[in-house]
Amino acid sequence: MGGFGHVALLLRISALIDALNERVGKTVYWLVLVAVLVSAGNAIIRKVFNMSSNAFLEAQWYLFSAVFLLCAGFTLLRNEHVRIDVITGRLSPKAQAWIDVFGTVFFLLPMATVFLYLSWPVFVRTYVHHEISTNAGGLWIWPARMLVPIGFTLLTLQGISELLKRIAFLAGKGPDPITRHDARAAELELAEEIRKIAEAKG
Amino acid sequence: MTAFLIQNMAPIMFGALVIFLLLGYPVAFALAANGIFFGLIGIQLGLLQPSLFQALPDRLWGVMSNDTLLAVPFFTFMGLILERSGMAEDLLDTIGQLFGPLRGGLAFAVIFVGALLAATTGVVAASVISMGLISLPIMLRYGYDRRFASGVIAASGTLAQIIPPSLVLIIMADQLGRSVGDMYAGAFIPGICLAGLYAVFALGVAIFKPAWSPALPLEARRLREPDGSSGTWSFVVIAVLATVAAILFDRFYYVATYPEAMLDERLVLAAGAGAGFALACAIVNRAFKLGFLSRLAEQVVFVLIPPLGLIFLVLGTIFLGWATPTEGGAMGATGALLMAIARRRLSFKLTRQAMETTAKLSTFVVFILIGARVFSLTFYGVNGHVWVEHLLLNLPGGQLGFLIVVNILVFVLAFFLDFFELSFIVVPLLGPVAEKLGIDLIWFGVLLGVNMQTSFMHPPFGFALFYLRSVAPANDYIDKITGLRMAPVTTWQIYWGAIPFVLIQLVMVGLLIAFPQMSLVYKSGAPEIDPSKVKIDIPADQPSNLPDDILKDLQKGTPQDGKDKAAPERGQSADDKAAEEIEKALKGAK
Repeated sequence: MGGFGHVALLLRISALIDALNERVGKTVYWLVLVAVLVSAGNAIIRKVFNMSSNAFLEAQWYLFSAVFLLCAGFTLLRNEHVRIDVITGRLSPKAQAWIDVFGTVFFLLPMATVFLYLSWPVFVRTYVHHEISTNAGGLWIWPARMLVPIGFTLLTLQGISELLKRIAFLAGKGPDPITRHDARAAELELAEEIRKIAEAKG
Repeated sequence: MTAFLIQNMAPIMFGALVIFLLLGYPVAFALAANGIFFGLIGIQLGLLQPSLFQALPDRLWGVMSNDTLLAVPFFTFMGLILERSGMAEDLLDTIGQLFGPLRGGLAFAVIFVGALLAATTGVVAASVISMGLISLPIMLRYGYDRRFASGVIAASGTLAQIIPPSLVLIIMADQLGRSVGDMYAGAFIPGICLAGLYAVFALGVAIFKPAWSPALPLEARRLREPDGSSGTWSFVVIAVLATVAAILFDRFYYVATYPEAMLDERLVLAAGAGAGFALACAIVNRAFKLGFLSRLAEQVVFVLIPPLGLIFLVLGTIFLGWATPTEGGAMGATGALLMAIARRRLSFKLTRQAMETTAKLSTFVVFILIGARVFSLTFYGVNGHVWVEHLLLNLPGGQLGFLIVVNILVFVLAFFLDFFELSFIVVPLLGPVAEKLGIDLIWFGVLLGVNMQTSFMHPPFGFALFYLRSVAPANDYIDKITGLRMAPVTTWQIYWGAIPFVLIQLVMVGLLIAFPQMSLVYKSGAPEIDPSKVKIDIPADQPSNLPDDILKDLQKGTPQDGKDKAAPERGQSADDKAAEEIEKALKGAK
C-alpha cells in the first residue's frame, strides 16, 4: 500500500495549506471593518475639522487591497470564486473534479505564475528606491506592492491544495472535495436566523 | 492557417472565452487565462509585442488604487449588518399596518418598503429574504394569490439594483468612466418610476382581481386606537404638517440664509427638517402621553426614522458634497453598525460572519475585474474593440437600433451571467461604441442597470427567486394565528409570479429608451461643460473613449497603435504625465 502512503502525504500537505489560508483569511477580514472606520472617520474629520489627509485616503485602498489579495486563497478554499456552472454543474462529481484539475493546471496556475513573475521585480524596485506616493503626504508604495506577490503566492498554494484534493478524490482515496456552498449559503444561514427572531417575536 | 488566425484573432479569442467560461471553472481565472493564452499566441504570430504582459502590474495597480471599487465592500458590509439589525422587519410590520386596511395594501407596503430599503443599501438578498419571511406569511394568511404575492416580493427586492445607492450603478459608473454621483442622479427618476409601475400593477390587481389581494380583516389591525378607529387620519395630518415644516424651513430659513444653495442640497436639508419635525412630535407625544397622535402614526414615524437617517448618511452626504460615494458607503456601514448595536442585535459572531462574507464577495468581484483586465489587454491588443465596434456600428437604425440590439443581448446574457460579469466583460466593449453613436453614457448605464435587474427575476436562475424559494413555505404548514392548515408556495407559482414583473421591467427599459430625459436630469445640477471640448487635448491618434487605464497602456506604446516602442518604461514618463493631466481635466469636468 505504498501508493496510499503517498496520497496521505499529499493530503497532509493540502490540509496544511488549507489551515494557512483559513488562518490568513480569518485574520485579514478584520481589515474590512478597519477600512470602513478609516473611511467614515476620514470623511467626518474632513467635514468637521476641515482637515484632509492623503495618507488616510491611501490607507483605505491599501487596506482593501490587502483584503482582496490576501483573501484570494481563502476564497478559493471556500469555493466562492463565481463559476458559470449552468452546464457543468449537472455533471458527476468525478467529471467536475476533472474540470477543476484542468482549470487549476491551465487557468489558475499560469495566471498566478505570470502575476508573481511580473510583480516581484516591481516590489523590489519600489522597496529599494523607497518610492513614496506622488500625493502630498502620501504613503510608502512598497507595502502595497508587496501585497501582490504575497497574495498570488497564497493563491498558488491554495490552487495546489485544491489540485491535490481533486487528485486524491479521482484516485478514490479522498472525499469529494467539491462542496458547492457558494455565496448563497451565507444568505440561507441568515434567513434561518431572521426566521428564529421572527418566531421568537410572534 | 496562420494568416487565418491573424485575420480573425479577435473573434476566435472571443469564441474561446465563451467556451472557457462555460467550462464552469471560476470566471476570474478563466478570463485571465484566456488573455494570457491568446497573448502568447499573438506574440508568437508577431501580432503583439513581446513586452505585452509588462503592462500587467500597472493594470493591477490601477485596480488596487481604484477608490470607487471600495464601495463594493462598504455597501456589502452595510447590507449584511442591516439585514441583521431587524430594521426591515419593523418596517414591514408597521407599514403593513398602515396600508393593510386597503385592498392590495400589503402589496403596496411591500413595494414601499422595498423602495425604502433599496435607498438605504444596494443588496438584493436582504430585502427579499426579510419580505419573504415577514410579509409572505401574512399575505398568505389573509388570502393573497400566491403568484402575485411572490412576484411582488421578489420584484420589490430587486429595486435595490436600480435605486441609488446600488452596487450596479457604482460599477457601471466605474466601467463607463463616469462619476458615481451623476449615475445616482440619473437613476433616481427611473428607479422611482419602476417602483411606481409596480404599484400601478398592484393597483390594477386590486381593482380587477379583488380576490387576489384582499384588505386585512379588522382583527389583524393591531395598531388601532382604544376606540377602534384606525388612526390613519392622524398619520395623514402629521405627514402634511411635516411637509409644511420642510417647505417653511426651506423658504424662510435656508434660502434666506444661503441664497445660492443648490437644489439637491435644499432638498436634502428640507427633508431632514421635515423628518426631524415629525420625530419631535412623536417623541413629545410618547413622552407626555398627550395622545394627539394615534398609535399608528407614532409607530410609523418611529420606524421610518432609522432608514431615513441611513439614507441621509449614504446619499444625503453625497448630494451635500460632504462625502464621496465611497465614503457614503462607509458612513452608511458605520451607521448600520451603530444602529445594530443600539438594538442589541449585533453579536461578535454576526460581525465576524458579515466581515467574512464581505471579504469573500469583494475578493471574487475584484478578481473578476482583474481577470477582465488581463483579457482586455490582449483583446484590445489584437484590435478586438475595433471588431466589436465594427459589428455594432453597422447595425441598422443608428442609435435606436444599437440600443435595442444591446438591450436584447444583455437581457439574454443575463440568463447566464450575473451583473458583475456583465459589467466587467461586456460593458467596457459597449461603452465606447455607445459614445461614438452620441449616446449619453449615464443614460446608457442606467438603461443597462434596469435591464440587468431582470437577471434577478428570470425563472429559473434568478437570484431573487432563489432567495424567495429558500424562505417561502415548501410544505404544508399550520398558520400560527388562524391555526388553519396552509398549502405551500410551489416553485412554479414563484416563477409565474415573476413573469408580469419581468415584463414591467422591460416596459421600463422601453420607456427609458423613449424618454432619456428621465436620466438626463443629472445634467441640470452641474455646470455645463462639454466633455468633448476637454477631450481635444488628447493626441488625435489615440482613441479617446477607452477607459482611463487602457488609454494609459496605449500611450505607453502597446503595439497596436503602431508606435514601435521598447518595453514600456515604468515610472513617470512624459506620456504618463500627459495622460494624468487629461484624466484630471476629465474628472474636473464632471
